Amino acid sequence: MNATLGAMIDLWPAILAGAVGALVPRKPSTWQRAGIGVIAALLVLFVMKLWPDAAVAAAPSAPSGEWPHLLTFLIGLPLAGAILMLFMPRQSPGLLRAMTMGILLVDLVASLWLLTVPMGVGWHFVSVHDWIPALGIRWHVAVDGMSLWLVLLTTFITPIAAYVSFGSIGTRIKDLCFSLLLLQAAMLGVFLSLDMFLFYVFWELALVPMYVMIGVWGSADKIKAALKFFLYTMGGSVLLLAALLYLVHTYSKLTGTMSFDYLALNKVLLPKHVQMMCFWGFAIAFFVKVPLFPLHTWLPDAHVQAPTGGSIILAAILLKMGTYAYMRFGMGLFPFAAGLQSATLAGVAVFGGILYGALCSWKQDDLKRLVAYSSVAHLGYVMLGLFAGTQASMQGSLLQQINHGVSTGALFLLVGVIYDRRHTRTITEFGGLAKVMPVYTVVFVIITMASIGVPGTNGFVGEFMVIMGTYGSLRLGKFGGVDAVLAAAGVILAAIYMLSVVQRVFFGPLKNPKNRDLPDLNVRETLALAPLVIMVFVIGLFPSVLLSRSAAAVSAFEMRNRLVWMSAQELGEGEPKLVTQDMLLEGASGSAREGMANTLDEMDRGAPVIPPPPAADKPAADKKEASK
Amino acid sequence: MSANLLLGLSPILIVSLGALLLMMAEALSKLRNEARESPSSSLAMGSAVVLASGGVASLALWLQGPDNLMEARAALAPWLLIDRFSLFFFVILTLGAFLTVLLAGGYLPEHKLDRGEFYPLVLLSTAGAMALAAAGDLLTMFIGLEVMSLGVYAMVAFRRGSPRSVEAAMKYFLLGSFAAALLLYGGALLYGATGKTDFSSISFQLAHTGYANPTNLQQLAWENSTPLMVIGLILVVIGLAFKISAVPFHMWTPDAYEGAPTPATTFMAGAVKAGAFAMMIRVLMMAFGDVRSASWGSGWPPVLAALAVATMTVGNLIAGRQESVKRMLAYSSITHAGYMLVGVVAMAGTARAEANGAVLFYTLIYTISTVGAFGALILCGSRGAEAVSYEDLAGLGKRNPAVALALSLFIFSLAGIPPTAGFFAKLYLFKAAVSGDYIVLTVIALINTVIGAYYYLRVLVFMYFREPLPGAPIAKPMKSGHVAIALVFAALLVLALGILPSKTLQAALSSTISG
Repeated sequence: MNATLGAMIDLWPAILAGAVGALVPRKPSTWQRAGIGVIAALLVLFVMKLWPDAAVAAAPSAPSGEWPHLLTFLIGLPLAGAILMLFMPRQSPGLLRAMTMGILLVDLVASLWLLTVPMGVGWHFVSVHDWIPALGIRWHVAVDGMSLWLVLLTTFITPIAAYVSFGSIGTRIKDLCFSLLLLQAAMLGVFLSLDMFLFYVFWELALVPMYVMIGVWGSADKIKAALKFFLYTMGGSVLLLAALLYLVHTYSKLTGTMSFDYLALNKVLLPKHVQMMCFWGFAIAFFVKVPLFPLHTWLPDAHVQAPTGGSIILAAILLKMGTYAYMRFGMGLFPFAAGLQSATLAGVAVFGGILYGALCSWKQDDLKRLVAYSSVAHLGYVMLGLFAGTQASMQGSLLQQINHGVSTGALFLLVGVIYDRRHTRTITEFGGLAKVMPVYTVVFVIITMASIGVPGTNGFVGEFMVIMGTYGSLRLGKFGGVDAVLAAAGVILAAIYMLSVVQRVFFGPLKNPKNRDLPDLNVRETLALAPLVIMVFVIGLFPSVLLSRSAAAVSAFEMRNRLVWMSAQELGEGEPKLVTQDMLLEGASGSAREGMANTLDEMDRGAPVIPPPPAADKPAADKKEASK
Repeated sequence: MSANLLLGLSPILIVSLGALLLMMAEALSKLRNEARESPSSSLAMGSAVVLASGGVASLALWLQGPDNLMEARAALAPWLLIDRFSLFFFVILTLGAFLTVLLAGGYLPEHKLDRGEFYPLVLLSTAGAMALAAAGDLLTMFIGLEVMSLGVYAMVAFRRGSPRSVEAAMKYFLLGSFAAALLLYGGALLYGATGKTDFSSISFQLAHTGYANPTNLQQLAWENSTPLMVIGLILVVIGLAFKISAVPFHMWTPDAYEGAPTPATTFMAGAVKAGAFAMMIRVLMMAFGDVRSASWGSGWPPVLAALAVATMTVGNLIAGRQESVKRMLAYSSITHAGYMLVGVVAMAGTARAEANGAVLFYTLIYTISTVGAFGALILCGSRGAEAVSYEDLAGLGKRNPAVALALSLFIFSLAGIPPTAGFFAKLYLFKAAVSGDYIVLTVIALINTVIGAYYYLRVLVFMYFREPLPGAPIAKPMKSGHVAIALVFAALLVLALGILPSKTLQAALSSTISG
């Protein structure tokens, strides 16, 4: 009896699946019910048998108050929702919309839990499970001060974008809900995963729903834009894959074990020219996504063709995947190569991003294209901050990522509002809208100010920190000052192109008779815009809410990069080797050394354990050392 | 004949005896009223059962371990080698054929090609492919190859009323015979050079004649036979490259694939290619796996690498220009052969075991995905309204979401997009190539993956983003339980192996050739 009961407890997922399969379908005969139930149960059994035997890997002891499955829940909920969505009836769009909004809001509320934990150095909510042990691939998700705000931005923006989409899109709701949920899961996965394989899977997965969103609900030239978006990003990511495979290969040669874990791979110190090639493989993939000049040409097309909701997500979150990944993986894995290239890249960010983006933006006559190019300019600041690599500039860059998400998301929303009413976005069609749409005008002006970076709004703090950090950057050397001055000039250009648009659209005489009876913001649009406007001022007036939570993580990251830089310089073109803590802390001593060692330990929490090399190999290794 | 011997041979025996039985059944069933009952329905199920039991037998032998079959192995060697490598390929082959007969069970009645010969042909051909995968001797290799090919020639010509089908079969037959002749000639030269026909002896000769303390006479004999060896090897490689349709020996592929009834195409793209790859790996690794022949400087790897690059690139570029989906899939199968060749080249490098596992795993996944893709294409069309061109698929996502979803899944797997099995297979294959220090080759393969994404995505574009032009002929999805079962089965495998590849991967890794 007990044995039977035990077996039943072991097999509970299969039994549950069988029951669901048998009971859920409507109106089949008893036999069909039994058949479906058995198939469902067997399927789950099959998956259970395939599941790697090694149960939970030695999970690092989590500090109290952190539920270790929170991040898995954040990613898993929308993913499960997306799969469930496939089995929902297409005929009741109301139900589908409600379900999607419900899931996204639950995700938002759950993500607020992240704020309750003091974010110091190191990882929180770490969750590690073996996935494909043969290759050392693990489910490794964790959050730290650098990813915290991007995760929150994602859970904050997606419900807004979904809410807006439900207002303006009336066809194929089921596909829309599926895409939104899948996109949410993939984006969160990108920001949270620390296993590079997992990261790559989510990175690619995010492409598919966005591709669908542009391709299905886009405007006239949507297919070309969707394809361009997909191929650009995929072209970048195969380079990433090649570099990643090389890194994993080197790691397995050095340690004898395989791992795709970021915390394992960042111990590999490659010789200079190899490191440079791997760095470019990673960097190009991320620069395409950012997008950095000259890889930015997909962005205006994608934005112009995408529906409003898609544009909001694309600008606010998807582009941040590139900046975040460059910061975390591009700089984290190859600090030396990233540092060597930073002066050049900063020049590209200033001229190709900030200045060129602003000038292009100035000359656009399509509102959405204008905002798209302004994105290129804004992301120029973000990237400049990363390239400069000082504490202030990196924190500013992190803040600017959030700012851009809020203000550009809002701008796209606002452009969508006017497009829904007039079905055109050409600037010359408008003029004098302030008379017919006063509330809309006020909101638009506020967001414009935020986008330009007027003090008191969020944009100011981020840009100011980036420019200040750039000025004193050691990495950029004598170019630091020039870059800072030119970047500051970019702010003026931003004012020119944004204010001239405001001038042409909202003020002046109301010439076009079609604009005479435009209704002002409706309830749905107001509800969607309100949180964004609030965030503009919250961040603008109390930036330390954000900065205090990311400061420790950024400074630790910057310190580690500096230490690895020194080791890499020592290595030069030598054989690849593993970085150890002793190697990193060579120059330090006393309490400073202890503090740094503690920080490094914190940053390694959850890293895969490297087993000691087998005894037979040891003498050989020793001999090698001796011969050196 | 001992029980152990029967056990060791059981996978091949089950399939070939099943073929004979079904042939009898088919002949006798001529007595019944064909208008009332389709011969396909019972034959398809029958051959599916036979193939499934063949697959289960191979799987059981694999799990039990060939080491317990010493008696059988000793009796069969060197003609047939029952090792984990061949057993793994048996599973792939029977799986591919199993799905094929299910597809045929739906396709043939729908398109009024309902003649029972198809099923015994598939079974016999599969038996030939299995013999090919297990062959350890040039003679058994040739017999296996011919048994496999003859069945396929007949299958290509199955739509005998259609000039297109007949032309395709004729082309395939002529070129195929030509390649077989080259292979045979190469084998004859190898025999002339070494005096042996089995792979391990050839390899022994290669390793031990030559320069290790030879007498003058041996030295002379070796030097005289070297040109024969080289020409023999070249001819054998060409013969095999023809079967896997590597560029520039691929000209027959698109025509044959397009002209043949789709289940036959499926079989050619899946099982036949897998069998040929098994043979290629076995010949190169066993007979020419010695240090000199398998080194980059003096052996076959650079030749194969050049073939791989040409195959991937040309296949991809032409696939992108096709207007017919079936033809696109044909070219894409050429491209995939190129990726697999990268793995074969990597087997000559330092990471041999890893590359071996990667190629085996890739072959398995490729077979499932490509069979699934052709199967979904079958389900998209019906009699008189077959899905052939991209235009036919326009708006399918709306008309029939389930079929469109299935096709997209297999297309994603072929394109290598996570979380499908195709992504993981590619990743592991390229990882093995990097481990073998073939970095340039890997980068070329990766770039080709991106080019490939373009034409795979076009299928999705037409299915989901385009509406059919008014008045244009559109494909009407057919209804068939057989095809649906095959697709559900393949789809589950593609997802399960993509998300949880660990155990299968380990199985592939341990499926090495034992000499």
